[in-house]
Amino acid sequence: MTLTEAHVGLYSGLSQDFPTEAGLVPELLPLCLTTGLGWRIPHPPLAVLAFMGFEWEVLQPVRVGDTIHSIARIAVKRSMREGGVIVEGREVINQRGEIVHRGRFTYLVAKRPKP
Amino acid sequence: MTDSRRYFDDIAVGEAYDSPGRTVTEADIVIFAGLSGDYNILHTDAEFMKSSIFGERIAHGLLGLAIQSGLFTRAGIPYATLGLGTLRWKFKGPIKIGDTIRVRARVTAKEEGSKRDRGVVTVERQVLNQRDEVVQEGETDLIVERRPAG
Repeated sequence: MTLTEAHVGLYSGLSQDFPTEAGLVPELLPLCLTTGLGWRIPHPPLAVLAFMGFEWEVLQPVRVGDTIHSIARIAVKRSMREGGVIVEGREVINQRGEIVHRGRFTYLVAKRPKP
Repeated sequence: MTDSRRYFDDIAVGEAYDSPGRTVTEADIVIFAGLSGDYNILHTDAEFMKSSIFGERIAHGLLGLAIQSGLFTRAGIPYATLGLGTLRWKFKGPIKIGDTIRVRARVTAKEEGSKRDRGVVTVERQVLNQRDEVVQEGETDLIVERRPAG
């Protein structure tokens, strides 16, 4: 996804969260975009019951005009009686192959319904 | 030009802030779905959600995070923030259309780093709704400029 002024304008208007410097993108915006990017992969999406929480690290600034994509890997899977917990590691990478943001998302995921 | 932003040196551990409230509307959810590309039915299908445990569409958790981030800057005199270092966040409860959220924040730690011009301020935050229920909470390690010398 190439980040544009329109993304920044829409996001900042919605949240009142502005970039710290002109030309940069607000730091939570790439995080917000990875949730949508995750729907565009050929795998079926996780049957998420709840997004429980996450940890996130900003490594490098992201600028208007940068193109980012994200890579997600399942790191932990823990089964419970009803559903289970999945921890997914995510990296946001720019057009130069640099990891700009990374973190871990924790989801409560449904179990396959019994027939 | 006077700079009224608060530098790392001016911020004290234990400071606490309360932001104004912000009512979350259907429009916020629709715009956020469009912006992020996250069209999960939890946020976009009102008919499906009638039979869910929430009974109606709920806001994206990250929409709540984005709104609280903006509310934090309205909760007191803004910091001279250089950036967000790290954050650890939990989603405790749903944000529904028409809910009014606000953020309550407290500085829990300050740490000087290796770079002389900046330090890290850890702020613990809670996002509360109009019933004083905590819907989200977490900690942010903000990178804040030190007062320039001279």
